[in-house]
Amino acid sequence: MSRPGFVLEVDERTPPLLVHEGENFRLERLPHGSRVIYPPDSLPGIKDLDGAIRRALLNPHGMDPLPELLTPGMRLTIVFDDLSLPLPSMRSPDVRQRIIEQVLEFAAAKGVDDVELIAANALHRRMTPAELKHIVGERVFRSFFPKHLTNHDAEDRENLVHLGNTHEGEDVEINRRAAESDLVVYVNITSTAMSGGPKSVAVGLASYRSLRHHHNVHTLQHSRSFNDPPNSAMHHSYHRMADLLGGHVKIFTIETTLNNDTFPSAARFLNKREWEWNYADQATYLATRRGNGLLKPAMRRRLWHKTEAPYGVTGVHAGAPSEVHPLTLKNVHRQQLTEVDGQADVAVYGLPYIGPYNVNSVMNPILVMSLGLGYFFNLYVNKPIVREGGVAIFYHPMPNEFHPVHHPSYIDFYEEILAETTDPAVIEAKYEKQFATDPWYTHLYRKSYAYHGVHPFYMWYWGAHAMQHLGEVIFVGADRKTAARLGFRAASTLNDALELASHTVGTSPSITYQHMPPLTLASVR
Amino acid sequence: MSGAKKGGARRTGGSLRGDLAMLRKNRDLRGRAMTPRGYPTASGSTGGYGSGDEDTTTFPTAWARTPAAGAVRNILQRGVLKPYAWAKTRPTIEGLDLLEGLRGPAVFVANHSSHLDTPLILGALPRRISDRTAVGAAADYFFTSKAVSVTTTLVFNAFPVDRYGRRRGGPSLPAQLVDDGWSLLLFPEGTRSHDGWMTAFKRGAARLCLSMGVPAVPIAVRGTFAAMPRGASLPTRNATRLVVRFGRPLYPGKEEGTAEFQARMLKQVAALWAEEDLGWYQSLRAAEEGKLHLPEGREPALPVTRTPVERGRPVADWRKVWESTRPSGPDGNPRVWRN
Repeated sequence: MSRPGFVLEVDERTPPLLVHEGENFRLERLPHGSRVIYPPDSLPGIKDLDGAIRRALLNPHGMDPLPELLTPGMRLTIVFDDLSLPLPSMRSPDVRQRIIEQVLEFAAAKGVDDVELIAANALHRRMTPAELKHIVGERVFRSFFPKHLTNHDAEDRENLVHLGNTHEGEDVEINRRAAESDLVVYVNITSTAMSGGPKSVAVGLASYRSLRHHHNVHTLQHSRSFNDPPNSAMHHSYHRMADLLGGHVKIFTIETTLNNDTFPSAARFLNKREWEWNYADQATYLATRRGNGLLKPAMRRRLWHKTEAPYGVTGVHAGAPSEVHPLTLKNVHRQQLTEVDGQADVAVYGLPYIGPYNVNSVMNPILVMSLGLGYFFNLYVNKPIVREGGVAIFYHPMPNEFHPVHHPSYIDFYEEILAETTDPAVIEAKYEKQFATDPWYTHLYRKSYAYHGVHPFYMWYWGAHAMQHLGEVIFVGADRKTAARLGFRAASTLNDALELASHTVGTSPSITYQHMPPLTLASVR
Repeated sequence: MSGAKKGGARRTGGSLRGDLAMLRKNRDLRGRAMTPRGYPTASGSTGGYGSGDEDTTTFPTAWARTPAAGAVRNILQRGVLKPYAWAKTRPTIEGLDLLEGLRGPAVFVANHSSHLDTPLILGALPRRISDRTAVGAAADYFFTSKAVSVTTTLVFNAFPVDRYGRRRGGPSLPAQLVDDGWSLLLFPEGTRSHDGWMTAFKRGAARLCLSMGVPAVPIAVRGTFAAMPRGASLPTRNATRLVVRFGRPLYPGKEEGTAEFQARMLKQVAALWAEEDLGWYQSLRAAEEGKLHLPEGREPALPVTRTPVERGRPVADWRKVWESTRPSGPDGNPRVWRN
């Protein structure tokens, strides 16, 4: 049986603890009395995964078995999560491939000819053929690419359909093919509690016109947190949209959850608790850290992004989205949730090399902000791990570095907008529309491999709740100029950071370190 | 893939020496770290190495009790370990005459403050006994890696002991060993002393003696804390006298319960311990008159020291270590009678 998550209080026995900092990591000595949140041990994966998928498809929740929903002459659309999930990428065969293959077996047996596969990438960049192949597998790729295996295009006006407005006036506009299909089969990986459920189709296949209703400063500041759906204004909006969608589109969803086997056995120490490291783990740590230091940044990045995780699948549930998602969330909590007593004055987070929007790419400063103040800060339910007015200390080198193909609008956002202001509300009011409708960014999104022009805005809004909540944000090891541009402070060491923080929280603050990755969701009482 | 800006082209990482220092911090020579006190183990206790959750008590040790392994062990113990330990520490062995009448298996129980305790006790015992003695070793310390498990088992005829008392299925290995005629050497404190002072005994050894009907032989080891405390990998010669003192075998009474027998065992070890300070006769009298300060719960024994200590009043850690490392008198001889 896997060991549950726990909160460790640092004492004189505690060895230095691992902290991620971009493509590298360090051992850090936290002050005695600091608390460290560890997730539960990795749960065992399902041994007979193909059998589990088959059973899920044949015994769905709230819907007829999949074969009974398939008829000759029908329009079937299979939609799947894009490369932003999971992180790092899953070692082949990806669970989406295994599910899609079984769905297609049923469809073939029923004589369904009109089948399309669409990646639900919303305003994310298109996936390259190689990336698509990695997710769906060679057999599916060969059968459907390029005509019937595509990326969703949120700027293809002809292939979007406006289904109506929610009672709050939110536009629901999604991919026409999906909207006009007899059945949409959605294949999902729920890595965090914010994913899956009503988000899948309502966000993954939507357009800017639809997304702006929940991806905005006001909604995100009232999503506390967006990993706690009942307390997330963003999820309330998703639900309203999903309800409207449900009246138009028949959706059969298949949701999966993964365990915490985030790193391959060669980097086993990253999955272990530090006091359990043996000599081999210590040697690997040292070799990896020193090797990292010797490699050129581009090579180092390539190496890390090639790392694929040997995840085990902890759950497969299929059927009606509203019935499946609660089961999925239970599995996510089983793997990630750790109970924490009370908030701290200072929260510490180590940010890794990868986030949802820099797979096979560069983690630019805006993505660092979004990963830290957006994703990691929001990995809580009930209350943040740090009190209001407290300090968050993040570890990341935050180089002033951008991927010109993937993130062109980010470069301009950084150079032009952040030089003016870092206030999310001002940025939204003054600049969002201009970037969102810029024809050059739209062209790059549709024809190249660029994120949509508005995407850096969304990343900035992602951190709006944290910016509002925190008294101070300090990045350890960060490029000082870059951190200053983002409105944050940089420190060389943890001690320096605590010294800077002392102006806000005093000289003896309580400290909580959320030990990630693997992902830990703190349930703060 | 190229960066629009080159600001990120710096190399990461500090010095190798710094990395090594961080890795070594709070780890022993074998690279292991103590489980932090705040870590909740399955048994609710804390304190071992590693997670304390993996089942390390199932390491097979029967091979070490074969004649071939015994022959190898004999060479290692008598040819290497004992000469080295004796040359380094020059121990005084007392009370061996009390073991002359001992026949059949017995459970040797000793206080524990150093890795040196086991080789000294085994080296001190007559061969007829030491050759038939197996040593209980902490499963979560000595049996967490294969190499160390094999070495410990071969050199000391060790078997894994779960010091957190978690219940597992199957018959108890120590009971089986006693049944097969092996004597056992156990350290009922469960771990080495942090300051050289004796702490309370766990009940396992007493329970074993009662259930198997075998005697317990009390042993007090003094001076090993000074010679090779926690964290040290080799013994050092110093001015503190090192004594291994055997007591008279204690046979469990017919009506005696575990708690009573454990108390008797503890009292005898404490008396032997005090003998170094009080002399033989005075320690006997102190034991008879109930004047020995026996350890209770987490409170250590209060040895007779040259500086005053009071029951119920905590003694500073440094003073405990101070007393445990106090050099012996100028004569260096054991005191039989107190002046």
